[in-house]
Amino acid sequence: MNDFWLQLESHPLAGEIGATALFPLMESLHVLSICVLLGAIVMVDLRVLGLAALRYPVRIMVGELVPWAAWAFLAANITGLAMFITRASAHVQNPAFQIKMALLLLAGLNIALFHFRAFPAMIPGEKEGGTALMARLTAGLSLLLWCAVMLAGRWVGHVV
Amino acid sequence: MVVRQVAQVQGAPNMTAGLSDFLAGSVFGRLAEFLLSSVPGMPPILQTLHLLSICSIMASAAFVSLRILGLAVPSQQVSEMVQRLQPWTWYGVAGASVSGVWFVLARPERYFDNPVFQIKFTLLFFAVLFSVMLYRVGHGDPTGRQISTALRLKFRLLAGVVLLLWVTVLLAGRWIAYAEYLFW
Repeated sequence: MNDFWLQLESHPLAGEIGATALFPLMESLHVLSICVLLGAIVMVDLRVLGLAALRYPVRIMVGELVPWAAWAFLAANITGLAMFITRASAHVQNPAFQIKMALLLLAGLNIALFHFRAFPAMIPGEKEGGTALMARLTAGLSLLLWCAVMLAGRWVGHVV
Repeated sequence: MVVRQVAQVQGAPNMTAGLSDFLAGSVFGRLAEFLLSSVPGMPPILQTLHLLSICSIMASAAFVSLRILGLAVPSQQVSEMVQRLQPWTWYGVAGASVSGVWFVLARPERYFDNPVFQIKFTLLFFAVLFSVMLYRVGHGDPTGRQISTALRLKFRLLAGVVLLLWVTVLLAGRWIAYAEYLFW
């Protein structure tokens, strides 16, 4: 398995990114992506929690902001992968990186829980501005998980 | 140290050396140095708070601009967005300042002599200035009333400038650590 990561690392593209201004370019675009991603997610989560933008139905907030989060997530993946391959074998052994990936998985499961269970269940009651308990829980969990993903991600660079 | 070399290569006079030495030697400079080097996890924690503050600016200033440009959240009203989101921009600026200042205090010479840091703060000045202007105009929502095409266009131009400025401030912030790629 370790051979795979070493092979990935020795790919000409990895060398090209690691040795040039492409790396900071990817890193800065990664930061831009995650700031748009979290910006959109936080607005949706605070609405679902009933703490902000109460005049707009949850359905509208989700419909108009989740696509921004999804595109930003795609951009974060592309730029993240570009950085990852430059030091793939070191990253897979980096505890901060491992924790970040585990947290991302949990955040993904939480999204699935919201979209397939909590969100469809809350639509009838949303006219009153109230949101179901399960939706609130997933929104709160989402805030915690994405902040933790960000912290773990930022920590990756501090593990030698 | 690479950064100081950059400044020397550029032939820039080291005018900020006195200020750097003063800050680094002050109580705050020594406290910052202690916090960042001795408290485990302090740098990534402060950097994450810095990033979350930027998220707050993106969610407010950037999305208000995108709305005015007709690119995002079409159901939301501009004047309502401005009233609701304006504080988040300034909380974000305050949070980014409080979380970021420690890095400057601990190693001022790394920042003051860095051309990318200077560019970032020039852009930041204009980002704040134009955001204040955008929010003032947006409060009355020129897009919602019968106004001249010229005024509408000006408002959109202002939104585009605000968006571009915040994005470049963010990118410049990350490039501070990579000044040697740009200025060598």
